[in-house]
Amino acid sequence: MTKEKQKLFDQKVVEQLGTKKERWHEETLKGKVGDKKYYTESGIPIDILYSPSDIKDLDFQKDIGFPGEAPYTRGVYPNMYRGRLFTVRQLAGFGAPEDCNQRIKYLLDNGATGVNIVFDLPTVRGYNSDDPEAEGNVGACGVAIDSLEDMETLFNSIPIDEISSSVVTHMPSTTVVLLAMYMVMAGKRGIALEKLSGTNQNDFLMETVVGSAPEILPPKASFRLQCDAIEYASKHLPRWNAVSYNGYNLREAGTSAVQEVAVGIANAIATAEELISRGNSVDDFAKRMSFFWDLCNDFFEEIAKCRASRIVFQEVMRDRFQAKNPKSQMMRFHVQTSGITLTAVEPLNNIARSSIQGLAAILGGAQSLHIDSYDEAYSAPTEEAALVSLRTQQILQAETNVVNTVDPLAGSYYVENLTREMAQRIRDYIEEIERKGGLVAVTESGWLHREISDFAYKQQKAIENGEQKIVGVNHFPAEKKKAAEIEVFRYPETAVRQTEKLARLRKKRDQAKLDKALGNLREKCLSDENIMPYVKEAVLALATLGEIEEIFREEFGLWQFPLA
Amino acid sequence: MSRPIKVVMAKLGLDIHWRGAVAVSRMLRDEGMEVVYLGNQFPEQIVNAAVQEGADVVGLSTLGGNHNSLGPKVVELLRKKGLEDILVLMGGVIPPEDIPALKEKGIAAVFGPESKIVDIASFIRGKVS
Repeated sequence: MTKEKQKLFDQKVVEQLGTKKERWHEETLKGKVGDKKYYTESGIPIDILYSPSDIKDLDFQKDIGFPGEAPYTRGVYPNMYRGRLFTVRQLAGFGAPEDCNQRIKYLLDNGATGVNIVFDLPTVRGYNSDDPEAEGNVGACGVAIDSLEDMETLFNSIPIDEISSSVVTHMPSTTVVLLAMYMVMAGKRGIALEKLSGTNQNDFLMETVVGSAPEILPPKASFRLQCDAIEYASKHLPRWNAVSYNGYNLREAGTSAVQEVAVGIANAIATAEELISRGNSVDDFAKRMSFFWDLCNDFFEEIAKCRASRIVFQEVMRDRFQAKNPKSQMMRFHVQTSGITLTAVEPLNNIARSSIQGLAAILGGAQSLHIDSYDEAYSAPTEEAALVSLRTQQILQAETNVVNTVDPLAGSYYVENLTREMAQRIRDYIEEIERKGGLVAVTESGWLHREISDFAYKQQKAIENGEQKIVGVNHFPAEKKKAAEIEVFRYPETAVRQTEKLARLRKKRDQAKLDKALGNLREKCLSDENIMPYVKEAVLALATLGEIEEIFREEFGLWQFPLA
Repeated sequence: MSRPIKVVMAKLGLDIHWRGAVAVSRMLRDEGMEVVYLGNQFPEQIVNAAVQEGADVVGLSTLGGNHNSLGPKVVELLRKKGLEDILVLMGGVIPPEDIPALKEKGIAAVFGPESKIVDIASFIRGKVS
C-alpha cells in the first residue's frame, strides 16, 4: 500500500466548499432546520447535510480503497456479488429430524443456495428429548437432535459436499457435540472432511450472556470449548468456519450497533490470544473466523456498521496479531434481518421492514443472508411465510440491480463520515472491554449483562413514551385490537417420536464401547488437551447429546447467571 | 394496601430470551412494585419461590414454545398448595389462538410483544388489592 496521502479532494477546494456550506446554511436553509436534534440508533448525531468537508481527511487508498484489498472497507472480494451472489440461507428448524429434512429440501427446491439449521432449546441447552427439562420444548423453535442417527436423518440426501451448511449451534458445548456428529455423519457417507463447507456458531456469550438457562457452564469453561472447536477445525476442516461471532443475538437481547460489533471483535481478539498461547499461529485460524450481524431499521447506520466492522477487524488482525495472510484480515459475515423490530400487529408490515434491512445487508457487503419471516412475532415461520422471505431475497438479487456494482455507497459524504464514526466508536468500546480485563472477565463480572439490560430498559422506555416510533404500535396505531388473521405454525408432535428413538438407540448400543468413550471424555475435560477427538469418539459410540453435556456439567460445574 | 405488590418473575424452563422479562421487571419496579427476578426456572422452583417470597403475582416469560405445557403447570402447582389467589401472568411470543385455553387453565392474562407497562401494572393493581 502506498504511503503517500491521497486525499479525496483538493484541500483548498474543500475549504472553499466549507465556506459555501455556511453560506447555504444562512441564505438558503435559513431557519428551516428546526430545533430538534437527530441521532442514529446508536446515538451518533445526524447533520441535515453532508458535504466534502465532512470527509476531507479521508485518504482513498488507506480508508476506502478497492474491494478485495485492505482495508476491505468496500468488501472482501474484488468482484463481490458479480463473482458469487450472497448465499440465500434461510433458517429451517422444527420438529424431528425427518420433518426438518423435508423443509430443507423445500427451501433448496425453491432456490435457496445454502442450508441454515436451527435446533430446539433442549438440543441447544444440552438435554435429550426425553429429559424432564425438555418438556414442552422438543421440536419447538428448532429441530431436535439427540444422537448421531438424528444428524444422519437431518441431512439425508442433502448434498453436503456441494452446498454449504450453517448449523446454528449457539453455545460451544453444543457446538463440539453437533460438529462432531456432523463430521462423523459425513465420514459415514464417504465425504472427506476437507470437502465440508459451512459454519457453526460456537460463541461462549450465547451460553453466558445472551441466553439465560437453568444450568450454565462457567465462562472460562465455555470459552475453552469455543477455542477447542476453532483449533480443531483449523487443522482438519479447511473449508469450515468453526466460529460465527454472534453479534446478532447480542443485539436482539439489547445493544447498539456499535456494541454488537465491538463485542464480536473483542471475542475474536480473546480467541486469537488463547490460540496463540496454545502455540498456534494467527494465520492458522483467523482466516476461518466469521461473524454474524443483526441488521435493524437505521438503514445508513447499518450499512456503515458493516463497512466499519471490516475496517476494525483488518486493523486488529494486521497490527495487533501481525496476520500475514490477507484472508486472516478479511471479515466475512452472515446477516439476519432483525426479529426484534418486527411487530405482532399488522404482521404484513414486517415484509417491508425485512426487505429494507435485507437491502442494507447487500449494500453492506454481506456474504450470506437470512430474511426474517413476517410471522416472527407469532411462531416459527409457516411454509408460506418462509417462501415470502426466500422470494424477497430473490427479488433483491434479480430485479433491483443493486448487486451489480460493488459497494455503491462508497464516496457518499454521509455514509463515509458515518463509517468513520462507527469504526472509532467500535474501537473505543473494544478498548473499554479490554480495560476491564477482556471479554471473559466482563462476562464473569456481569458487566456485559448490565450493559445489555440497561440498553433494553432504555429502549423499552423510549418505545413506551413514543420517542422511538413503531408503525402500527405507537405511531399510526393499528385499529383497536383487530386480531391479526395469521396462520400459526404448529410443530409436529416430536417428543414421543424422539423418546422412542432414544429407547431403541440405548438398547442397540455397544455398552462397553460407549462407557469407554464417555470415560475418556470425562477424563479429558479438566486436561489441557483439545476435547474434540474425545467428543467424536463418544458420538461414534452413539452417546447421546444429553449424556455428553451431562459430563460437561458435572466436570466443569455450573455458574450463576449474574442478573437479578 | 400497606406493602408494595410483590411480583416473582421467571423465564419459563429452557427459553433463553431474557430481554423482555428483565425489562418488564425493571419497569414494574419503577411502578412501585417489588420484583424478584428468578432467571430460568421450571414450574416447581417457580412455585417454591413464590411461596417463599410471599408473592402476589407470578410473571412467566417464554418465547420458546413451551407456554402451553409449562404455563398451566405453574397454576396447577399453586392450586395444589392452596395458593389460587396468586395472580399468574404470561408474556412473550404466544400465538393468540392459544390464549383462550391458557386463560381457561387459570392464566389471568397474556401480555404479548406490544404490551405497555402501564397496562400490565394497572391490570395487576386491579386484581391485587
